Amino acid sequence: MTRFVLGRLAWMAAILLGVSFVAFMLMRAIPGDFAIAAAGSQSVAPEVLATIRRDLGLDQPLMAQYLSWLGAALTGDFGKSFVTRQPVLGELLNRLAVTIQLTLLAAVIAAVMGVASGLAAARLRGATDWLVRLWNGLMLAVPNYVVATLIVLLFGLYFPEITVLGYTPFLESPLGNLASLLLPAFALALAVSVTIAENTRAAVLEVANQDFVMVARAKGLTPAAILLDYLMRNALTPVITAAGLKIAALLGGSILVETIFAIPGMGQYLFDSINSRDYPVIQAIVLVAAGIVVLVNTAIDIAYARVDARVQM
Amino acid sequence: MQDSAPVAAARKGAGITQGWLLLGVGLAMLAAMLVLTIFAPLVAPYNPSATSPDSLAPASAAHWLGTDSIGRDVLSRLIVGGRTTLLITVSAVLIALVAGLILGLAAGYMGGRTDEIIMRLLDVVFAFPVLLLAIAVVAALGPTVPNLILTIAIVYTPAMARVVRAPVLSVKQWDHVEAARSVGMSEIRLVLRHILPIVVSPILVATSLTLSQTIFTVTALSFLGLGPPPPDPNWGGMLSEARQFMELAPLTVVGPALAIVFATLTFIIIANGLREVLDVGSVR
Amino acid sequence: MTGPLLRVRDLTATVTTRREVIQAVRGISFDINADEAVGFVGESGCGKSVTAKTLMRLAPEGASIGLGGSVAFWGQELLGLGEDEMRDLRGRRIAMVFQDPMTSLNPVMSIGAQMSDMLRRHLGLSVRDARARSVELLNLVGIPDPARRIDDFPHQFSGGQRQRVLIAIAISCEPDLLIADEPTTALDVTVQAQILRLLLRLREERGMALMLITHDFGVVAGMVDRVNVMYRGEIVEAGPVDDVFARPQHVYTRALLDAVPRLQGAGAVR
Repeated sequence: MTRFVLGRLAWMAAILLGVSFVAFMLMRAIPGDFAIAAAGSQSVAPEVLATIRRDLGLDQPLMAQYLSWLGAALTGDFGKSFVTRQPVLGELLNRLAVTIQLTLLAAVIAAVMGVASGLAAARLRGATDWLVRLWNGLMLAVPNYVVATLIVLLFGLYFPEITVLGYTPFLESPLGNLASLLLPAFALALAVSVTIAENTRAAVLEVANQDFVMVARAKGLTPAAILLDYLMRNALTPVITAAGLKIAALLGGSILVETIFAIPGMGQYLFDSINSRDYPVIQAIVLVAAGIVVLVNTAIDIAYARVDARVQM
Repeated sequence: MQDSAPVAAARKGAGITQGWLLLGVGLAMLAAMLVLTIFAPLVAPYNPSATSPDSLAPASAAHWLGTDSIGRDVLSRLIVGGRTTLLITVSAVLIALVAGLILGLAAGYMGGRTDEIIMRLLDVVFAFPVLLLAIAVVAALGPTVPNLILTIAIVYTPAMARVVRAPVLSVKQWDHVEAARSVGMSEIRLVLRHILPIVVSPILVATSLTLSQTIFTVTALSFLGLGPPPPDPNWGGMLSEARQFMELAPLTVVGPALAIVFATLTFIIIANGLREVLDVGSVR
Repeated sequence: MTGPLLRVRDLTATVTTRREVIQAVRGISFDINADEAVGFVGESGCGKSVTAKTLMRLAPEGASIGLGGSVAFWGQELLGLGEDEMRDLRGRRIAMVFQDPMTSLNPVMSIGAQMSDMLRRHLGLSVRDARARSVELLNLVGIPDPARRIDDFPHQFSGGQRQRVLIAIAISCEPDLLIADEPTTALDVTVQAQILRLLLRLREERGMALMLITHDFGVVAGMVDRVNVMYRGEIVEAGPVDDVFARPQHVYTRALLDAVPRLQGAGAVR
């Protein structure tokens, strides 16, 4: 077991290394001069350009540049933004906090909606099952940014008094914070909740057929006890794993939803920095975002392996 | 309670009929889309770039889906935009398919170190959230149509390779493969005659699913302004531009939204139909 | 409490799944008296398992069972009984041991938890008392070192041990009737005899009625007082076990008896 965990962690480190390499190389692959982008304008004196190049270490061999960037990144130093001339880290952390709030809320909404509808479909069957599956099928075809845009449109048309755009920080007003994140989180959660619903439905159906559930009934246990201890405890394990892996989808999708709802998160930050060619920021965001996904996936793999050992025997 | 044999067979039969139904519907939808986009210049009532003073008009006989903020006909833009979207989508997925096939076959068939190396490299690509990677690459290389196709192909290749590799790994042990090998059949013939057929079914399903996901990625990229540059209309871009005045002309948003959903739904339906018909392990 | 423990008259059971309708039991009648052991022998599909599940009113998942006739438990009609009352009866007055011990235990709950939940449900025991009682029961069925093993999970036990645990669970609330549905079929031959001996011992100690269901005549020999032979949803022969063994009347009974290897004759389990 420990060997597995260590192996998995080593693997994770290797992937993170690869990710960092890709993140770094991407920005170096750009046409046009990195130094010019750093200068912020096309017309800049050659001596200034040369100074910038030296400062940024652009005259070093590529690998050396990569290693020094990586070394700095590991200590949290992502360099300075070309636009604000401030360290990237500060703004990155602010934005990250917002995105994490959004993503977590979306995850909760997706989990609750998904498990509830999947369970209802599996246990009630009949019309409920049919409706849930139809909804699931349709919602899979509607991308999250379309949902988000339609929500904003709907509110704009029929509830113009309610502000759906913008973000209220938690420290300013916890309730306002929740209100500002609710709709975007819902838009983000919808597609994921559908996958969770399908997974839950399948898992519950399969577990309900198992012998030990029949035994539980023969024991005269209450339906609630059977549902919780026998059905859900077994059905949810694969669901949770699959759901956890959806974090990647949520992070990716947040870019779009943040733009639509004017939420100042990492997605917006990425979008803005792409438009302003702020390469140090782009590199940092790509690394951090991918890094989070890898970390979460690894954690889930390890957690699942522990539970799986029991269930497999 | 286990189904008795005739019941299980009947249930499978019903699934297959359902599969053909889905497949029929999906292919019909696909055909409709293809006809519209291939013959776009003929079908579109207006020049998609033609502006007019009649901006943000509601649906009318002249403009079935109204006009956008500078008077361009929404319907025409959707039809022509569909062309670009589908072009990028299909090309990208085809490339991913071929690359995935080669890599997956190589990894699965040769096994050992080759397998490990290939899969580990692919895992690094796989670790990135799809959209994030696409955005990063397109941002770096510039949003031209060839770059978009290439980026998306790269992003979806690992998934394809995995789908190919799985059945290859299991088939390698089969007796008739061993038998053929012992008779001295050349490796390439072996792969083509025995291994390829096994791979076809899951690959077909995976391809349709990837097509539906690619529609999402392509339109998302163009939504963010990283799609095909103007004057090419594209669905994502149309949706994004429409946001500014959408309360005044909801159709400018609803139009592209419906187009995107329709295209995505087409490939999902085809994928589900294929799954039933080809009996690729599905969820009941 | 009037009459025999269990009186079944003209029981019919129609099983309806999503695809088909089967007449699993076509009008059978039998009695089981308190303190009596009755065997039900027949091949797969003869309706003996459905009969057992009917007594507990347990329909398989995704199917419904249409019932007819009468099942009287201590004079109380079970067939029309509400689900709530049926639930009180299950495990408490009538208990069941199923066929496959490898799949009959919840893999994510400890053995102790799976015993305690039943004890607390029917007998209202506190957590501590339920745990103590569970340890006693494990000891009773022959699980070594029960105080430590009570927190173990099913995958840490062998097939034979799991069946013992399941038997312990079944008898934990002192039911009047224990139904054992093919309790040894999924076990190794050597373990089979052990489990049957355990059932015999428990029955003698507790004066519990036993309904033993099996396809193997060799299993009922020495275990039951009377035997009912079932074929295609009907009871084709019934009588004291020694009589049926010695003088089988029905052609089918004879076929079943012939299927038993002679080495494993009537004296095997004694």
